[in-house]
Formats: sequence, structure tokens, C-alpha cells
Amino acid sequence: MSVEQNGVSRRTLIKGAALGGIGIAGGATVLSSCGSKASGPMSFGARTVDESPTKQLKGLVAAYEKKSGNKVTYNATESNAFQNNLSQYLQGTPDDAFQWMAGYRMQFFAEQGLLEDISDVWKDLESQYDNSYKIASTGLDGKQYFVPQSWYPWGLHYRKSMVKDLGLDPENIANFDDMIKMFDAMKKKGLVGFAAGDKGGWEAMGTFDIINARLNGYQFHVDLLAGREKWTDQRVIDVFAQWEKLLPYTNKNVLDLEWDGAMQLLLQKKAGSTLMGSWFGQNFKDKSQADYDDLWIVPFPEINPEHGVDTIDAPIDGFCVAANGSNTAVGKDFIKFAGDKEGMQAMLDTGVAMTSANKNQDTSTYDPFQKQQLNVMSQAKYITQFLDRDTRPDFAGPVVGPAIQSWYKNPKDVNKIVDSLQAQWEALPKL
Amino acid sequence: MNSTADNKNTTQVTRRRAFSPKDRLTLGVFIGVPTALHVLLVWIPAVATIGLSFTYWTGIHINDIRWAGFANYHNIFFSTPVFWQALKDNVIWLGWFGLIATPLGILLAYQIDRQIRGHAFFQTAYYIPVVLSLAVTGVIWNFMLRPDGFINGILGKDITNPISFFGDDRWNLYVILVMASWRHIGYIMLLYLAGLKAVDPALREAAALDGATEWETFKRIILPTMRPVNIIVLVITIIESLRAFDIVYIIYGTSGAQVPILGTLVFQNISGEGQSMKGAAYATILFLLSIGPIIAYLRTTFKEDVK
Repeated sequence: MSVEQNGVSRRTLIKGAALGGIGIAGGATVLSSCGSKASGPMSFGARTVDESPTKQLKGLVAAYEKKSGNKVTYNATESNAFQNNLSQYLQGTPDDAFQWMAGYRMQFFAEQGLLEDISDVWKDLESQYDNSYKIASTGLDGKQYFVPQSWYPWGLHYRKSMVKDLGLDPENIANFDDMIKMFDAMKKKGLVGFAAGDKGGWEAMGTFDIINARLNGYQFHVDLLAGREKWTDQRVIDVFAQWEKLLPYTNKNVLDLEWDGAMQLLLQKKAGSTLMGSWFGQNFKDKSQADYDDLWIVPFPEINPEHGVDTIDAPIDGFCVAANGSNTAVGKDFIKFAGDKEGMQAMLDTGVAMTSANKNQDTSTYDPFQKQQLNVMSQAKYITQFLDRDTRPDFAGPVVGPAIQSWYKNPKDVNKIVDSLQAQWEALPKL
Repeated sequence: MNSTADNKNTTQVTRRRAFSPKDRLTLGVFIGVPTALHVLLVWIPAVATIGLSFTYWTGIHINDIRWAGFANYHNIFFSTPVFWQALKDNVIWLGWFGLIATPLGILLAYQIDRQIRGHAFFQTAYYIPVVLSLAVTGVIWNFMLRPDGFINGILGKDITNPISFFGDDRWNLYVILVMASWRHIGYIMLLYLAGLKAVDPALREAAALDGATEWETFKRIILPTMRPVNIIVLVITIIESLRAFDIVYIIYGTSGAQVPILGTLVFQNISGEGQSMKGAAYATILFLLSIGPIIAYLRTTFKEDVK
């Protein structure tokens, strides 16, 4: 008895009474299917505990609470831990809405029935997004499971003041060979030309992605990651050969530094450039506004004229609704708000740097670095997510990551490495 | 005859009296609850893991499980080179602990037991790391040895040319082993010290009177009398080497496979969207490797209790 009385919370009771006594738990779902506004408390799972993104997400949550009147509980988990536990989390009692990634990573969980189909949310959001975002939000069954929040391009980052002092102009380098000449000039000044970190095992995947796309084209790259091409292909070996040309200009301790180590090299003006996703702009901003204003990005230069600079890694982060959540209707309502121009604006208003995925976004408030990110992005015809989001997760992390690390240790082993990559791809169970 | 029968009767009576209904209940609870918990939390998951290692499974829906036979093991042994590397690292780990760390712990215990000057201080100093979990040990050493850490800092090396403690293949495993030994030595020392305290001083005196040297006394007298402790120390060394995980995980994270060991391979495959059944197969291999020493360990412990 008493349990039932507790089950009918004050809030549901009021809402229920308003609609002629529709009761307890099912209430919210029934309400939404009636076309009324979803209501009730919900919880949101953030995939970060860092200060800036937390501020940004709390801004979003506050704006949603204010608009809808629904109470949102904010739960934060450190991103690696969140990722490692996601399948257990989604099978248990997950938050109603949570932060996740587009592409393969989302599709895997959608296939397992752990994500809520949000195709109806997309009907409302469709006009605000380019089709490429919808494709990235779509599961293998053609339904949508994801709402984009932001993206960041992977490109060559450098400090404007440094290249100016050196008399270099990365913005007008025509191709790979010119880039090498630029690195050479940096090296002569005692700088690291091309800073890299790969201790985490994933960072250097971005370098593989871009060299492969520049050298062999978008189609070969996606075919390779989907298993339609072989890793033992001469073209893959060529990618590593091309990459090897960068090693004389790379710091020697690649396997000792994580992504933030490579970033530190640039921040401390010890390196001339680094290839990374622009998300770390916020780290520069946290250091000082002057450092942030000094930061710039250009696309990785052309290698093969046939492909120009037509491809870019631009991972999309965003939100999903958990199928096992206790209030999926409000969860959907929340991510609809998050994907809407209004929700995006609430996040931008927190002052934390972010490039919105929403095409209607007012970009006039963007700072020059953000505008440059848009510019870099617009030069690309094809957008890829990132190696660990574009291929099977059980291949990317456990196989490709260590393979690239062992290549760094001994680039001459390339034939052995690609043989092993192909053998391990073929050994994957057909799930 | 009669008296024997009577004796039997009395013992039976005493026994019956010893297990009154209340006693039985108490005993039932004291044995039953831990047994039930143990079976539920240890054996059922263990058996399920072994079962899973013979299947294909994404780790999500029970009805998606498909029988795979020995396919996962075949895959590990023949198509996953990192497994052999991990096994090699575990063997080196075992060799290091067995030949360097554990003997050092024993040596320290022996010295402290001989009451060398400042023994109380040394005992505390060496024991402190044992209080910390391996994860904390990893965090502390990471602060010290990172490219932008304390050691590189006082050497005046910036992050472009630091000493690469964790990134260089030639020694990173040994750096990790030094970190692990920091704690292991104290642990072994304490175990051994407890054993040494129990050795009858008369034995030592007798040996001294017979003109035995320190080394001879240790080899011929102390070591043999310490046999049960020796076995426990040996087993602990083997188990600690095989189950190593925390330190490597703290330093390299999930995907960083620069020092692959079996423990990290299990985790890497089970976490995220990995291949949980392959992780289960690694866990089973680890289980089979560990079970021998564990059985030996338990048998010694029980023998001690009976004595």
C-alpha cells in the first residue's frame, strides 16, 4: 500500500489529475503519445568531469529546466570510465539522456536495442541540420538514435605568433613537401616540427586517417575500415612510408606523451605544430586568452592531387536516449531541446568554446578560431568520424592502437605490422 | 568392553550436547552464509566466465550467445600476437618477483629480525607502501616519472627531451617492476618477519655453539623451519605476478598496450564495446595458470590450521 502511495509522486499526481487520473509510471509515456508535452523529472549522464564542459552542460540543463519545468538530475562520470562501463550502464538503470558519439559507436548500442529510437525528434530537427549529420545519427536500421551537439575538425594546429617569427606561412603551404620544408625550418630553430603523442594508443589514429585519405582517397579509407579492402594492400604500406617522412620532425617521446603532452609542446612553444582535434582550444583558453587568440588551424595539406584536401576527420559528439531509462519521453524532449538552436545557444552562452552542429546557429558570436574551424570544415567534401569511431570498436582499440604504437617503435616492421592487422581483422568473430 | 561402550556413549552424548539446536543454527549461519555468498559471488561468475569463453557474445543480450567451441582460444593462440607478448611480460614479472623482489623482502626481514641498528625505522619505512593499494602506488610513481614529472623536473629536462620511463620499450617493463616491487618487498618482509619471530631462538643458539656461520644457519636451520611460510611466500609471489593489473592500467590506461600483461588484456576485451567472450577466454587462461599455486596455498594454510 505504502509503496504505491510513494509511487504516485506529488508531481505525477498533479499531472495525472489534469488528464483525468492517468496514473503512475506509465503516465509520462501516455502523455507524450497524446502529443502533450512530456513532463516529470529525468536524469542526464555527462561523459565528462572536466570543468569547462561541465559548465557548458550545466548551462544546457539549467536552460532546459527553466523552459520545460522538468527537474533534471545531473550525473557526471569521467569519460574513460563512462566509455568502459557503457554497456553495463545501459543495461542497468541508466540516465534517461546521456552524452555519446555518432557513427559506429552509437550504431553498436542501437543494434543491441539499448538506445531509444528518436526518429520523431529528427522530424522536428531536420530543417536545422545538414544531411551529413542525419546520416551520422542514423543506425543500421535506418532510424535515428542520436542528436549532434558539437564537432571539431582534426587539422594542423599552430601558433600564429610563432610561424610569424619564423617567417613561415602554414596557411599557404601547397602540399606535403612544402609542409616538410616548413618543418625543416622549424627544426633548424630547435623546434619540434610535428608534435605527437600516442601513449593512449588512439591519438595517432588521426594521423593515419588523414594520410590515408590524402594519399588514397576517402573511398579507400572507408572501405579499408569497413573490411572491404585489405590492410596488407600496398596502399596501406605507402601510408606508413609517407608517415615515416614526418618522424624526423616528431618529438622522440611519442609513446610517453598523451594527447595533452603534444598539446603542451605547442602551448609551451616547443613545437611548431601538431595534428589534433580542435577541442583543445579550451585548454589554451584556460591558460590565457592571449594563448587562445594565438591558436590557429589549417587542413592537413594535399599529398595526392587527385584527392586534394577533400576529406577531414570531424568527430561529432552528441546525445542519446537510453531505452532502459525511467523517463524516456522527457529524455527525448531534453535532447530535442539540446539539438535545437535554442539549446545550443544556452551552451554557447556559457562562454565555453564549442562549434555547434546546428546549421541555423548564429555564428556571428563565434571567435576567429571557431570561424576558422568552420572554414576548414567547409573545404572538405567528405567527413569521417575518426578511426576508432569508423571501424569495429573491438578492432580499433585492442588491435589498431597497439599496431600503430609498435610501428612508432620500429617503422621498419611495417610489413609485419600490416600482416598482423589483416590477420587480426580476419580473426574477428562475425557478430 | 563395557567401559568402552560407555565411553562411546559419553562422547556421543557430549557431542550431541555440543551441537544444541541453537549451536546448529549458529554454525549453519556461520558456515552457510559465507558459503552461499562465496558460491554466488565467486564460483557462479567463475563458471559462467569459463562457459562464456566458448561462445561468441557481444556481452549484452543473453539470447545472442552462440556456441563457438575453441574458436576464441584458437584466435588467441594463433592470431593475437599480443597474447604471447603479454605472457612473456607476465613470465618476466614472475621471474623478477621470484628472483629479486621476494628474496630482497626475505633479506630485509632477516636483517630486521637480527635487530640491526634502526630496525624499527626500517620496518616501518618498508612497510608503508604495503598500506597503499597498487592503484595509489601507480599514481604516486606516475607523478614522479612522467615526462613532466618530478624526476625529469629536478633533472631540468623539459617535455621535449625527458627520460622516457614509460615510453621506451627497452626498460619500461622494468620501471613498472620496480614500482610493483616497492610494495611487494614490504609485503614479503612482513610475512617473513612474522614467521621468523616464531622460530625458536634455541635453534639459533645451538647452531652458533656448533660454530655455524650466519649463512649456514639461515640455509640449514632457519629456512627449513620456515617451510610453511616459505610456501605461502612463494605462492603469493606467483599469484601477485599473474594477477598484476592495477599499476599497468594506471600508467597506460585501457588501450595503451605498451606493457601488455594478461590482466590488461582481460579488461581491454571486456570493457566498452569489446569482445567480452575473448576477455572471458583470457580470464580462463589466467585462471588455469593461477589455480595451481592457489591450491598449493590453500592446502598449506589448512595444514597449518589443523596443526
